[in-house]
Amino acid sequence: MTDPVETSLALGDIRVLDLAGEPGWYCGKLLAELGADVIKVEPPGGDPGRRIGPFYHDEVAPEKSLYFFAHNTSKRSVTLNVAAADGQALFRRLAATADVAIETFPPGFLESIGLGYQALTQVRPGIIVASVTGFGQSGPHSHYKGPDIVAVATSGMMYLAGFPEDPPNRPYGDQSHYCASIQAATGILTALLHRERTGEGQHVEVSMQEALSMNQETAMQTWDIRGELRSRMGNERRLPAVGVYECQDGYMTFYVGIPGFGAPWSSLLQWMADEGMAEDLLSDEWRGVFQGMDMRLIAQLYFGHDAELAAQWKPRLVHVDEVLVRFVRTHKMQEMYEEGQRRGLLVAPCNTPKDIVENPQLNYRQWFATASHPELEATLTYPGPPYRLSDTPWRLRGRPPLIGEHNREVYCQELGLSAEQLAALSGAGVV
Amino acid sequence: MSKGELPLAGVRVADFTWFGAGPIYTQVLANHGAQVIRVESQSRIDGLRLAHPMPEGKYTWNVSGYFNNFNASKLSFALNMKHPKALAVALRLIAISDIVAENYTAGTLEKWGLSYEAMLAVKPDIILVREPMQGAGGPHGDFGGFGFVITPLAGVSHLSGFPHREPAGLGTNYTDYVINPGHAAIATLAALHYRNRTGKGQVIEVAQVESSICAVSTAILDYTANGRVGTRQGNRLGHAAPHGAYRCAGDDRWCAIAVFTDDEWRALCRAMSDPEWTHEERFATLQGRKENEDELDRLIEGWTAERSAEEAMETLQAEGVPAGVVQSARDVLENDPHLKARGYYVYQDHAEAGRTAYDGPGFRLSKTPGRLQSPAPMLGEHTAQVCSEVLGMDDEEMAQLVMESVLF
Repeated sequence: MTDPVETSLALGDIRVLDLAGEPGWYCGKLLAELGADVIKVEPPGGDPGRRIGPFYHDEVAPEKSLYFFAHNTSKRSVTLNVAAADGQALFRRLAATADVAIETFPPGFLESIGLGYQALTQVRPGIIVASVTGFGQSGPHSHYKGPDIVAVATSGMMYLAGFPEDPPNRPYGDQSHYCASIQAATGILTALLHRERTGEGQHVEVSMQEALSMNQETAMQTWDIRGELRSRMGNERRLPAVGVYECQDGYMTFYVGIPGFGAPWSSLLQWMADEGMAEDLLSDEWRGVFQGMDMRLIAQLYFGHDAELAAQWKPRLVHVDEVLVRFVRTHKMQEMYEEGQRRGLLVAPCNTPKDIVENPQLNYRQWFATASHPELEATLTYPGPPYRLSDTPWRLRGRPPLIGEHNREVYCQELGLSAEQLAALSGAGVV
Repeated sequence: MSKGELPLAGVRVADFTWFGAGPIYTQVLANHGAQVIRVESQSRIDGLRLAHPMPEGKYTWNVSGYFNNFNASKLSFALNMKHPKALAVALRLIAISDIVAENYTAGTLEKWGLSYEAMLAVKPDIILVREPMQGAGGPHGDFGGFGFVITPLAGVSHLSGFPHREPAGLGTNYTDYVINPGHAAIATLAALHYRNRTGKGQVIEVAQVESSICAVSTAILDYTANGRVGTRQGNRLGHAAPHGAYRCAGDDRWCAIAVFTDDEWRALCRAMSDPEWTHEERFATLQGRKENEDELDRLIEGWTAERSAEEAMETLQAEGVPAGVVQSARDVLENDPHLKARGYYVYQDHAEAGRTAYDGPGFRLSKTPGRLQSPAPMLGEHTAQVCSEVLGMDDEEMAQLVMESVLF
């Protein structure tokens, strides 16, 4: 790849074979949009994930899955039945041209068909193979099925999410797939740097359970260091202005009054006073309450280590919270965001997808990206870059591929199969 | 410190980050061989050094489990950037570094004199990685925040949880821990690869709100393509049933169960010993199970409630049904036989904090596995070492800088 255009792509010299199902989709997308040539290797008929909605205009069809679209832009697609002997032979030819392969099969599957990491090093020394599964390649649960909800449950993060009176909450949107894909891409690039120095490739292993673990925040250390178990606390506002409040048209998140984090309580109070809604909080009695709240007291109230102290403070905090509830309820979320932040307060709206698409900051920065879908006679707006590299910018390089869209291009033009050979493989259900 | 075999050996990071999203990503580099020098100071202390959890009765800058878990394998260099003489020292470090990392509010480094141009003047191929909340410029460019407010800004809160509840988020500052530091690590490693190839450095900006929205991509497309504003769906999923967390025996014990296919449904029925109700026609297809999901959940919970979450998971997985205990921190650290066998959590002996648990690397390389090189540093623990071994200062110069509170 000596094309001058390619040199402005960070990974313009890298080819990736993307065998991944849903958990690894985002990994391939990350590499593709940094410039790698990512070839999605799908079973004939297409990736089963293409059958999962939501669908474009709610028309259920494998070429219209928005879930698939969202995670497979900028890739090429070939179809290949790796369970068939001819398919395996063809995959080896593909692998001989690749730097990286990503896969999400159950542990041992690729080995069982002769396409495991060791076997691939025979056709491509220095290849990097990344395996993403629910529980990793080894250990007593490695063969357990691990879709998203199982991964978030066993990781510890689900235990922290939700209201105490409800079951624990699964986060929206297959967060285990994002986290595992991010870990896999990090591992692949680290392995790539090692290969540049030594010529040596290796196997990158990601367990979705482990990939999510850091999301427990301090829960693991709180147990380890203090023997205290963190669990879900819903919207229990242990301190006023730390939590979620309902406003006219949605919800606002507040993080005010914690020293070191934005403008102090007095700024919020001033805002309420400016609008004539501070009620009795400006009286000497209540001013004293706020002045007495230093970091030590706040920590004690927040973590509840001293039950007596908490009980003593509870009625005061509840009153302050009630006044704030009344204040927030009269406002609109985006207006509150602008005005609160203008006053230096850490406040933010609980944005809906619509709010995000209309967000003035994102639009000022021209964050959203578009891709033309000629088959749909439409141009779709996609989320933009997770990062901006000044010399090698992230780029949405095209809509997601149709099923096997690049079979001829890859198999004939690049691997040198004849049209007849491709037709024969197609007839045999291999391609 | 023998890092010769690790992939990032020889890479030096001048690490000006603090709190979560910055330090977590530089730790990934440190665990894989980079020399990461945390530039920090008593004059502007990392808030996580003051945050819980700390051991009872021992509240110092060096014992926070929150801070320590994100800063293993690094050196701590106490440099007071508020002192005018600190700039020259910082530039000396940058001149021999490969990466400068920061996640301050936009403009903070510039206030210290550390503009990108100043860095280029001493290190023409420097890779500068910034993680502002909103990105530079624009109407909200100087808005403040961290994961607590980024999680709702990015739509994660609105979309997660039960529909009858407020969008309270995930109980954590979610985006700080994998999504944002992970994206920063990927961009940095890609830039190193590009520098290896071309000799060119560059500036990377990870605007944390932008990076976080990538984790709700489907909902964004559902709006831009279909005009649909998605809402909270609890634990349910359109293409699976049952799908949720089911109460088990014990206090607040739950098992997640997910059935996507009819094969998995039949396996679930087998695992529950085929009770009468499982033969009902209305549960035979996914469509039927979706239409009768409340009743289905109630009946399944009748089975799970009679056994421990662990027994439910093992019984179901043995039949091929996706299932997993909703584990607490105690479970993952002490009870999960799988994590234990894999050695995910590791313990480090720290001079002040004692022996405590840390997260291990989030991915494993077969030939050059990352590992924690050392416990998190105490504030300024390596100041003398960095001065002499990295910056080549003599004792006299160092003493002078200490006396003037530049090294502080």
